[in-house]
Parts: sequence; C-alpha cells; structure tokens
Amino acid sequence: MSLKLVWRFLLSHPVRSILTCGSIVVAVFLLCVLRTTVVALGSSIEAAAANRLVVQSSVSLFVPLPLSYQPKIEQVDGIEHVIKWTWFGGYYKDPQNFFAQFAVDAAATMEVYPEMEITEGSYDAFLASRQGALIGRDLAEKYEWSVGDRVPIIGTIYPRADGGAWEFDVEAIYDSRNPAFGEQTLLFHHTYFEEVLKAEQGPEALAAGVYIMRIEPGTEPTTVMAAVDALFESGPQRVQTTTEAEFNRQFVTMFGGIPTFLSWIGGSVLFAILLAAINTMLMAGRERTRILGVMKAMGFGSGSVFALFVVEAVVLCGAGGLIGVAFAKLVETPIAVALSTMMPGFVLTTETILAGLAVAVGVGLVAALVPAIAASRLRPVEALRAEV
Amino acid sequence: MSEQALIRVRDVTKTYRRGGEELRVLEELSLEMQEGSFYALMGPSGSGKTTLLNLVGGLDRADSGEVWVGDDELNGMAGAELARWRADHVGFVFQGFNLIPVLTARENVELPLKLAPIGAKRRREQAEYALELVGLADRAKHRPSQLSGGQEQRVAIARALATDPLLLLADEPTGDLDRASADQILDLLQRLNGELSKTILMVTHDPAAAERAQTIVHLDKGRLGRLEHPAAAPTATTGS
Repeated sequence: MSLKLVWRFLLSHPVRSILTCGSIVVAVFLLCVLRTTVVALGSSIEAAAANRLVVQSSVSLFVPLPLSYQPKIEQVDGIEHVIKWTWFGGYYKDPQNFFAQFAVDAAATMEVYPEMEITEGSYDAFLASRQGALIGRDLAEKYEWSVGDRVPIIGTIYPRADGGAWEFDVEAIYDSRNPAFGEQTLLFHHTYFEEVLKAEQGPEALAAGVYIMRIEPGTEPTTVMAAVDALFESGPQRVQTTTEAEFNRQFVTMFGGIPTFLSWIGGSVLFAILLAAINTMLMAGRERTRILGVMKAMGFGSGSVFALFVVEAVVLCGAGGLIGVAFAKLVETPIAVALSTMMPGFVLTTETILAGLAVAVGVGLVAALVPAIAASRLRPVEALRAEV
Repeated sequence: MSEQALIRVRDVTKTYRRGGEELRVLEELSLEMQEGSFYALMGPSGSGKTTLLNLVGGLDRADSGEVWVGDDELNGMAGAELARWRADHVGFVFQGFNLIPVLTARENVELPLKLAPIGAKRRREQAEYALELVGLADRAKHRPSQLSGGQEQRVAIARALATDPLLLLADEPTGDLDRASADQILDLLQRLNGELSKTILMVTHDPAAAERAQTIVHLDKGRLGRLEHPAAAPTATTGS
C-alpha cells in the first residue's frame, strides 16, 4: 500500500478533502472546548480538600445561618478552625463587572485555605485593615488594581443605606496553587460586613452564609459532620454539614443539566460529523471502483485495498483532529480568562487533547469501514466493468 | 496435450447469472496456447472472449474444468493466492487504459512493482526501463491527463511489463484509439512478442489488429471455432 497514492487521492479532490477535514476541525474543537467546560465544572469537586467541611442551612444554600452557631461548632471535637464565609454578590462600577466576593473571618482564612499564596502586599496588613481586602491575581490584573487601591463595590444583596458603594482597600494579592481555586475572588472582613449591616439594618440582619471548618488530621469527617448536625437538630435553623467535595457538587448541580446538555451537544456534533465523513469515504469508494479493479488485477490483495481507505480516512480525520486541538489550545487562555469568575480551572488537559485526537481517528476508522469492506470484497472483474 | 503448452484450458464452463437468468458464456471449452506466441481472440459479442481472458489471467474462476498456466492450476487457487499469482505472472492491458489519474506515468508503472520484494531505487529503475521500452521515457513525469490516448495505452503496456510477467493479456487494447495510434500499439505488442518473447493473448473485434497475431482464435457462443495463422507464423495453437 502506497502512502503516496493515499496522499494523491486526498489531493485529487482538494475542496472535498478540505471541507471534510474542516468539519473534523470544528467537531474536535467543539468537543475539546465542551469537554474542558464539563471538566472545569467538575474540577472543583475533584480539587476539594478532604479536611474541609461546609455547614449550610438544611433548607437551602441561600438561607443564612445565625452567628451564634459558630462558638457552638467550635466546641465539637476534631475541629481546628471554623470560619464564616458569606456570599456578598456585588459588582464593580457596572453590573457586567461581576466576580465573587466573600465576607470571611480573615484571621483563620489562610489556615483553612492554604492554597492561597500571598505574592503582593501582606496578610498582616490585610488583617490589620478594617476595610482591607485580599484579592486574586487575575482580578488584580483584570481591573488593574494594586496594593493600596481603594475599590468600590456596589452591593446587590447587601446595598448600602445611602445607595453608595462598599469600599475596600486592597492590602494583599494572592496566587492560587490550585487551578480549581480561582484567582478572581475578593475576600474581606466579616467584622466590617457585620459592622455596616448592624449600623444600617439592625442586629437582626447579621448572619453567615455558611461555616467552613478545617478538621484535625486523623479525624473522621463523618463523625464531625454528624456531631455538628446533631447540635442544631432542634433548631432554630437546622443545618446540613457536608464535605467540601459534596458542597461543590451541589453547587455544580445548580447549573442544572448543563454538563449533560453540553455532553449531548458534543455527542450530536460528533454523530453529524461521522455521517459527513462516511459520506465522503463512500463517494471516494464509488469513484475508485475501476481503479480498485485495476489494482486487484495487478495483484493487490483485499487487505491492501482495505488499508488504502482506512489510511486515507485516518490521515484526513487525524489532520482535522490535530488542527482542531490546536485551535482549542489557541483559545484556551482567552476562554479561561472570560470564564474564570464562574468556572476557574478551564484548562485543556492532556486527557482532553488525547480524547479529541482519538475521536478524530475513531471517526476516520468508522467512516472508512463501509467503503473499505466493500472494496476488499470487490471482485476485480466486476470492478473493471464498473461505469464510473 | 502438448507438454510445451503454456496455457491449457480443459473443459471449462462458465455461467453468469443476471437478473435471475443464467447465461452460459463458455461451454466445455478446451484450448492450448504455446509460450512465446501472440494470440488474438475474436468472436461476436457474448462469445466469451473476455471471459476466457479473465480466466486465463486469474481474474475470475470457471464453474467447472481446469485452467492451467505453466504448472499452476488457477481454478483451485484461493483469492489471496490468486492475487499473488497475478502479481507474479500476468500483466493486463485494458481497452480504457485504466491508468490511475492521480499518479504520473512513472508512478503508474511503478505501482505493480510495490508488490515485488525490491527496493525503491530498483523499482524506479525498472519503471524507467519499461517506459523506455514503450518509447515514453520523456513522459515519465506526465499525468495521464497530459498524455494522448496512444501514449496512455503505451504507459499501460509499460505497467503491464514492469514486473516482467510470463503473460501479457490485452482486452481490446486498440478499441479506444484512432488507426495510427492503434497501429503503434500493435507494432509495440508485436515487438514485445518478437524481441522479448512475451506470450500475448489479445481480445479484439478489429480484424486488422487480429492480423498482427500469429494465431487468431475464433470463439462462437462459448465454443472454440476456427483457428487462423495470418502471419504464416509457426503453428502454435492446438484446439480440441
């Protein structure tokens, strides 16, 4: 079997080859991006720390918990730290400038989230500043904020009484050691949050979104979870304590069936492209009936003509796969930046690249199968009589 | 039967089934052909000329009877074995030339040599030699679309010769050519037979083409008809 012949066959219909290859490029590109999205949605689950537990209301994530729960939780055996973690839900200047902000117990936050590494400013300065903020590197770069800047954030869930912005002073910038822990987050003091709310809305407005606990090494998480849940069994607000992985999983399911939906889109694209590739190879097979007859008359066996189609389809689809993966790699960073608020961890993994290439080659193999089998079974006498 | 006969066809019957109907193309045909001779097969359409050519070339199998070429009985060979036999023993020339349009003349001639256990350099040399034999060495890099019909057929003959086969089988090789080109092809076939002692079996409707052969074998309704020796060549055919 001649590779030169395969190459010449591909070049003999350049438009058809380019269109088929192009369709594979689009399919593999979409599959890579969609799979990366699905993986990114799930990466927070995989990246969850085994020693972090989350206490939330058993009613809903959106129902806050009383501040009085914290000292009671701290009494449970096996817990190193408990911090408040409250979703703020504001924006910077324009609602489009949305990113994650949390009011936190600053003192223990670094202990609970050691994946943060302060690379500018200092953590002590953050702790010492009443309105201090600790921000991620991507956030700092996106809005060109630096240490010492005062940042106005408009509260949507917690608007200021005068309609103005909450003001935070950037005291430190962190880099994340874990891609699933995003760098587009702003953390500020829960004490400042409570101070303002109490002054403007009264003490009844004070609450915490969730409590996050770091447990001691060797402690059985299920024991701690059961103990915390039992504390508030009789109210006033029952709680549900989960591992961080489970909490993240629940958060991902808030996106509804998006992962499933994306998988369906990917599957449908793949199926459509497979049909297109099969059609191309069938056309190629029909056109070459007489050539195949001549080759068989020369003594080329069934295996050789079978291989001719398989190699041609795999070369065509494989090239499309390579280009598709290259395009996906090209847009990886822009997409990752665009989605970093919602979906940190948008990284084109080696597995995704290999899956994209495998799909391309697989489509080629399947598309080649029908014409290759037909060609290998073709009787030379019939092939030489063919009117093509 | 003569021991010297290269091709021995014995009591061969071949039937095709088309649209539920059986069409008997060869009827207990027996025939011998000598090595190094040039034969023309003539007869009306449907007389079984091409079918006989296909059987002798190992492209098709008889329903019954035996087809011997040298020491090989083709009817008993399996598909892969027959393909290998064709690669080693036969060169085909077709009416429509059947060159591969995406390859150059030299690449077309090289193609059957891919099945031979020789390296790329040797393949190239053999292909160039075959093109020289047919007088087209200067057209080696031309694609079939850049050649005239006569030149295409000469490339096809070079391709058939490239592996130095025992048998050259030509099915209406001048059928698509004008008279001048046809004469060139017939001259070439005669020269290959005369100078290289190639055994040639040519199917033709053209009496002028058949006149070039040493023996004309007439078939009629799948049976052997009369034999002619137009060129007063040594008698080489024995019908039975």
